[in-house]
Amino acid sequence: MSLTVDAGLSMAWDVTVDDAPVALSARGDLVAVAGAEGTVKVLDAATGAGIGALDLPGGALNTALAPHARHLTVTGPTGYALWRRSDGHVTVRESGAWSATAVWAHDARVAVACGRRALVLDPDGEELWRTGAAASTVTDLAWLRQGRRLAVAAYGAVRGHERHAEEPVATYPYIGSHLALAVAPTGKWICSGNQDASIHIWRIRDGSELTMSGYQEKVSRLAFDDTGFWLAADGAPDVTVWDFSGKGPAGTAPRSLRRHETITALAWRPGPAGHLASGGHDGTIALWYATAGQPQSLLRPARELDGDGLAVAALAWAGPHLLIAAWRDGRVRAYGVPSRTVL
Amino acid sequence: MKETVRALLGLDDDTAVMVRRLTCTEPGCPPVETVVAVLPMDGEPRRWTLHRPVEQITEDDLRAALLNPEHQSHQEPELTTPASPQPHDGRVPVTVLTGFLGSGKTTLLNRILTENHGMRMAVIENEFGEVGIDDALVLDSEEEIFEMNNGCICCTVRGDLIRILGALMRRRRKFDHILIETTGLADPAPVAQTFFMDDEIASQLRLDAIVTLVDAAHVMQHLDEEKPEGVENEAVEQIAFADRVVLNKTDLADESTLTEVEARIRSINAPVQILRARHADIDLRQVLDVGAFDLQRVLADDPSFLTETEHQHDTTVTSVGIELEGELDETRLNTWLGSLLRTKGVDIFRSKGILALAGEPKQYVFQGVHMLLDGTLGREWREGEPRGNKLVFIGRDLDRDALVSGFSGCLAVAGAAA
Repeated sequence: MSLTVDAGLSMAWDVTVDDAPVALSARGDLVAVAGAEGTVKVLDAATGAGIGALDLPGGALNTALAPHARHLTVTGPTGYALWRRSDGHVTVRESGAWSATAVWAHDARVAVACGRRALVLDPDGEELWRTGAAASTVTDLAWLRQGRRLAVAAYGAVRGHERHAEEPVATYPYIGSHLALAVAPTGKWICSGNQDASIHIWRIRDGSELTMSGYQEKVSRLAFDDTGFWLAADGAPDVTVWDFSGKGPAGTAPRSLRRHETITALAWRPGPAGHLASGGHDGTIALWYATAGQPQSLLRPARELDGDGLAVAALAWAGPHLLIAAWRDGRVRAYGVPSRTVL
Repeated sequence: MKETVRALLGLDDDTAVMVRRLTCTEPGCPPVETVVAVLPMDGEPRRWTLHRPVEQITEDDLRAALLNPEHQSHQEPELTTPASPQPHDGRVPVTVLTGFLGSGKTTLLNRILTENHGMRMAVIENEFGEVGIDDALVLDSEEEIFEMNNGCICCTVRGDLIRILGALMRRRRKFDHILIETTGLADPAPVAQTFFMDDEIASQLRLDAIVTLVDAAHVMQHLDEEKPEGVENEAVEQIAFADRVVLNKTDLADESTLTEVEARIRSINAPVQILRARHADIDLRQVLDVGAFDLQRVLADDPSFLTETEHQHDTTVTSVGIELEGELDETRLNTWLGSLLRTKGVDIFRSKGILALAGEPKQYVFQGVHMLLDGTLGREWREGEPRGNKLVFIGRDLDRDALVSGFSGCLAVAGAAA
């Protein structure tokens, strides 16, 4: 089946889930869709066929497939769950604690936010180690140093934790609530998106800091592209894209990507081409050459898919050629993007 | 500006347009925004937030914002809110329930959840498992107060509420009403500010009222409790912030005590409505969806709020109500109010006012929480209605004479060649 959307972009599949999607994860040959009520569907990325399902009582906030798609986590307001592909086994932990997210270091290790701590688990849910308590509920996690150090965002600081020590081995303080965390794949930068409508940046090497303020709203979505040279952020109607190559973004102006009024999803296309997908509250999806032009440029979408008024809930790339989109009403669609260089 | 909105959207006369401005008087504090709401007689309300002061908004800004088919709340068309006293704007009302341990919050919560009001409720509790009921969603929360790097207290919000409410709103089925129970020691200001400071929350939820329960027999000792220097008396703060006080367990106190307690409550918060109850057995319509934070209803609850209260007690938290005839000069008013809240905002817990601005056919209504001000034009002054001003401040160490003289200085005739 191949429904034509417009020249060059075809819909590979279209399914509807019986929940309001909140998160997507795409790894290997799978796509996972988590709904607000806690239902998770695991789909074949190529066809959209269902190959697994699980439920997290208390609702879901996020989901993450392991790199080779053999395991999956789903995290929610009152706990988390793990799913094993080989036999469909599900482990549910109803901890009563808020689990904002989970991130895989590699196939054998996942960090799960659990209240004010992060737990590091093996793929079957056995605890390997845990961090000490942060100042508030953990809001986001990211792995550093090839999965040896875990960055934990919460109120007042991003803290770096390693195994066998409750206390952090590094602390990056900033007064405010860190809502989103992004670590550059170059290993050079830690960035937090904040409730106070700013992005705070630390250079990992020496801990030097930079704050990008002036956003209109809280910054709750941050994403580095594969090169680690580009950071995309919400917090305003325009997506802002900052240049982190060389000495970083100090003293520079971002590119502004204008299409949405309220941004509800951001996903970089895998690869070095600087292609970005964004979704809006009105259901529109835009594709961008996000690194084109000069700093401070106002960019227009290379392509857009009009919505019908219901917000885009999440976007994810299942490899460089398939963009997955989920809308709040339960629609999940995959679009083929055949050319590596053209959107 | 309203006319521009009408022209751009081609609205009919039955559709109300509301322009609200939210400002913080603290220098360097970023949140200055103008909210445009369009409330048709039939059909869905729409709402836009522009992040700049109303004076700086051009027609092009409005066109860009309003004609973009975006940023409009999607609500189920008819909320079951019996006897709703005001046209709701599509946002889900939120009631904040405060009160000391033992004041009967759990009893009231149980009543609200079990009474047949036909509303789908969500409850955010501070302790899990106290109340559980099939029809309602009950969520646990631990108070997380987030201050911001800029140090402005108006930016202090409740992080736990932001994430819990955010997750609630992403669910498919919408709630008709949300109830937040705070601990007896909670400061109500960050709770209230959360509903103004977080755009995601403000666009979908509206703070309806702060309801404070007090135990009639024991509240005086809490109010009189001496706190160390710099420590707040939470019981006093909770009464100061309240829109409704439920004077509970009246069966356990005699009439003279009740009278004394009521007078004491009024000395702190003159305009508050006090509801007497035995086992939290109040008419729920008096606490749910009452629109106490609705600017159109500011001060409409109890016109007698300005009655001078007797200061039987040496309380440092008091109300100052001012009534002043005549019209105000807008520039002078902004200067005075701005500087007052900038310098005294920490001590002024709440402020409310209905004002007559010179040259403006409509009432100007506002209310504030600390330094944060939310204002809009209300109804038109009626023919023959004397144009006057009513203002109330609730706070700590208020200087009535200074407030009266400052406010009087804003009169359009003061020092002007009329």
